[in-house]
Amino acid sequence: MKKLLWLSTAVFSAATLILAGAAQAQEKTTITFLSAEYDATFKPVIDAFEKLHPDIKVVHQSVPFNDLNAAIESRVGQGDSSIDVIEADTPRISAFASKNYLLDVSDRADAIKAANPNPTDFEQVSYNGKVYAYPMWTSTQLLFYNRKLVKAAGIEFPSGDPSKRLTWDQLLEQAAAIQKAGAKWGVEFQQVDRYYQLQMLFESAGAGPGLKGDGLMESNIASDGWIKTAQWYSDLFSKGLSPRGVTPEQTDDQFMNGEVAFMIGGPWAFGRYDAVKDLDYGVAPVPYFKDGKPVTPTGSWALALNPHSKHLDAARAFAEFASLNAEGNYLTVSANPLPPTNAEAFKTYANKIGSETDKIGPAIDIINYELKNSAVGRPRTIGYVTFETVMNKAFSDIRNGADVAGTLKAADQQLTRQLSRLR
Amino acid sequence: MTEASFTRKFFVVLVAIIFFLPLWWLAASSFRPSDSIFRYLSPIGVYTFWPDEWTLKNVVGIWDSPFRLAIWNSIIVSMITVVVGLALCSMAAFALAVLEFPFRNAVFVVMVISFLIPFDAIAVPLYSIMRMFGLQDSYTGLILPGIGNGLAVFLLRQFFLGIPKEIREAAIVDGMGWFRIYYSIYLPLSVPAMVSAALILYIFQWQAYLWPLLIAPGAEYKVAAVAIAQFSTGYRTDYGLIFAAALFIAVIPMAILTILQRYYSASIAATGSKE
Amino acid sequence: MTSSKSRYFVVLAFLGPALLSVFLLRLWPAALALINSFREPGGAYGLGNYTYIFTDPEFLNSLKITAIYSVIVNPLQIAIALALALLMNAGMRTIGFWRTIVLLPVAIPQSVSAVVWGVALRPDGLVNSILNTMGLESQRFLTSPDQSLASIMLIVSWIGVGYWMTFLVAGLQEIPKSLYEAVKIDGANGWQQFRYITLPQLRRPLTFVLVANTVANFLVFAPVQILTQGGPTGSTNLIMNEVYSQAFVLSDPSSAAASTVILVAVALLVVTIQFRLMSAGEDRT
Repeated sequence: MKKLLWLSTAVFSAATLILAGAAQAQEKTTITFLSAEYDATFKPVIDAFEKLHPDIKVVHQSVPFNDLNAAIESRVGQGDSSIDVIEADTPRISAFASKNYLLDVSDRADAIKAANPNPTDFEQVSYNGKVYAYPMWTSTQLLFYNRKLVKAAGIEFPSGDPSKRLTWDQLLEQAAAIQKAGAKWGVEFQQVDRYYQLQMLFESAGAGPGLKGDGLMESNIASDGWIKTAQWYSDLFSKGLSPRGVTPEQTDDQFMNGEVAFMIGGPWAFGRYDAVKDLDYGVAPVPYFKDGKPVTPTGSWALALNPHSKHLDAARAFAEFASLNAEGNYLTVSANPLPPTNAEAFKTYANKIGSETDKIGPAIDIINYELKNSAVGRPRTIGYVTFETVMNKAFSDIRNGADVAGTLKAADQQLTRQLSRLR
Repeated sequence: MTEASFTRKFFVVLVAIIFFLPLWWLAASSFRPSDSIFRYLSPIGVYTFWPDEWTLKNVVGIWDSPFRLAIWNSIIVSMITVVVGLALCSMAAFALAVLEFPFRNAVFVVMVISFLIPFDAIAVPLYSIMRMFGLQDSYTGLILPGIGNGLAVFLLRQFFLGIPKEIREAAIVDGMGWFRIYYSIYLPLSVPAMVSAALILYIFQWQAYLWPLLIAPGAEYKVAAVAIAQFSTGYRTDYGLIFAAALFIAVIPMAILTILQRYYSASIAATGSKE
Repeated sequence: MTSSKSRYFVVLAFLGPALLSVFLLRLWPAALALINSFREPGGAYGLGNYTYIFTDPEFLNSLKITAIYSVIVNPLQIAIALALALLMNAGMRTIGFWRTIVLLPVAIPQSVSAVVWGVALRPDGLVNSILNTMGLESQRFLTSPDQSLASIMLIVSWIGVGYWMTFLVAGLQEIPKSLYEAVKIDGANGWQQFRYITLPQLRRPLTFVLVANTVANFLVFAPVQILTQGGPTGSTNLIMNEVYSQAFVLSDPSSAAASTVILVAVALLVVTIQFRLMSAGEDRT
């Protein structure tokens, strides 16, 4: 029954498109797609889509990641119809949806669930029981290790089996030993000071995401669990295991230069690391806190529609092609190796990554396992951006040596004040 | 001007080199493979400032990319802003310095206040105003906010005030109209100030970021300052491309500025001034 | 020429376009922003936003940091620009080229300059390498609350002093040689020449540079956004960073509007004082 409904909807949409196309005598509809990625990333999927729909032209507009919010606030927020499809960062979907910046697509919920079966992915594009975007990509984290450095310290390579993953204590011990044996840095986080990266620490320790209460609008970052884990984070830097002063854009370079023993990073790093000639690296599951549970970050970009768009059908067709259609979804990651959310597309992705197994270890198995078992998404709340901004600043201060309890308490107060402005 | 002493020349070059060091590193890095840019930071060695591996990949990558169009857009927008802006601002400065009319000082104060207003803070309301006129994604939308520059008006007015009124009184007696006085007397005397004002207008547009981002994000009208920021996505930042792009962005003003330096030496030859 | 109707027409012709563009493109949006500053979240009109920001530790901190920054950086940059202008006003065939080099940093997008200096000031970066070779200890620069503001001052000064120097060089070039010759005959030395001829003659360009530089320094934003985001512990949270953060990150445009109004008011006050001080005793034609 569902399939019939889906099929008839598809046929109906196609018919509408064809009729509309014919009525306009082969006139092209142009839709604008706003994102924070390179043109080259979306070119494959746009080209394929345009081939399937010769009457629709997709224009890709790219703005820098840090300014995407400003662009969306000022254009979509002002009722501008010049954007049709928006690349939406999943944690921001709640805030955008509450301000009516995104079109409600709950009518496609079943189709979305069918194509993108992971419940975390579906959760990420929902708000208040309604669906506001089409999942496109997801993410996870891996432990990358420099084989040469680890061997030089006489330590065994970490196992690629998730049931044998290291605890943080074990990892730090090994990292310290490797540093003694000559490595410049023992451990590094790819996205230092960013909540996306560090949330897993607090969740693994059982301290929770830092927000609680109705709509997750109450700050919980000054709790004992948070202070304890944040102190652990601070010690990494004050003990010299991890470097200060390096921005997230420059951490990969340190690993690639052979300066770092263990790197916690995402699978998009494969492309860069593989290209370095003399970097022999392996992958393992990320560590967890002994008395807690293994947790990995997840969530990435999704495709949403501007409710003020004048070409909703064409926009929807594009978004659905890039999400619900296996080939379309895979094309979005063909130039940018992230895990796609579409189940069929993921199989193709898995094959590609699977070919690396001999060289670096069972990366695809780890990715699969984490996505299904340990992934915890960022809190879905309209105050997410405020929360993340305050947290990132607090993390940065903690990393630079500020008093942990004091910083978290001040951040807690500030967060409470700022969240109160949003209700 | 008398030839400078050797010591003086030495210090001139030394200071210039010190200023240039970070730019040299930037230029050298753009000829390195992106992944080795951060390799030689410390300790300082030969390879810090001189690439061990040369590559034209970044420079060529920039030239072949939409960035080339972005540079072109920046040039067009800045040039037109300078030409139109100079006309507009010098005429306004003339009115405020030379012509007499009620509320003259008040108008001047209003002009001055306008350049105190941080552009970033009015970018969003300005965007909705521009949208009303349909000026998104157009050269007009990019140029308009740059032509009425309170700072340039301020500068030119200051300069015009310094031109003795005897000159214009003589011209009035001779029956010259205001526009001719402006055009054939004040302007030629003001070449250094006009060059300074041109610099102000030019740098305003060349550096502009938030406004072009909002009003013209499409590839067709994107300007260089915005395009360069795009080489960092959320997943990786290609510093090689960024630095190569910065090189392109810097070379053009460098050429223009070197040429313009000549005009600073124009002395005030007109008789009767600055006695 | 003498009839007031044609007089007004002339004034309008000269002043009109610039005034129109300033009005439409600066003042009208600013007025909108001003009105917004009185609109509290929730829709009511009142002083709520102002009460909020003046009880907000972040905002108050940014006022303090901006004040400290302005008081130090403005005289510093003017002094350096003046020294550079005096140096670079040399009779040298290639002087135009060297001046351009010093001016060049302002033509690079601020985001790139910030990145380059960010790398140079890294704990393992170039500046520390140089310090180490000279036998000095590595400094923390941007990661230390005590040194971060000074580091920002360094970066902004590198970007801007060449620009201000250019205006002062133009000013120096306009000083008639005859004035110097006259005092030399009376036996004045270099310092006296500077104090009694150069400085007074530079009054107009100096006023201009002082005012423009002060305003530009109130608006410093890009290096802070890229390198420190206002930290560590708020030590570089200059006011424009706070405004941008309120407007585009925290989605609190009402606070941003109120903060902007305060910023403009303070800038206006400072600029007026500077203008008065510098113009005291000057002839007006």
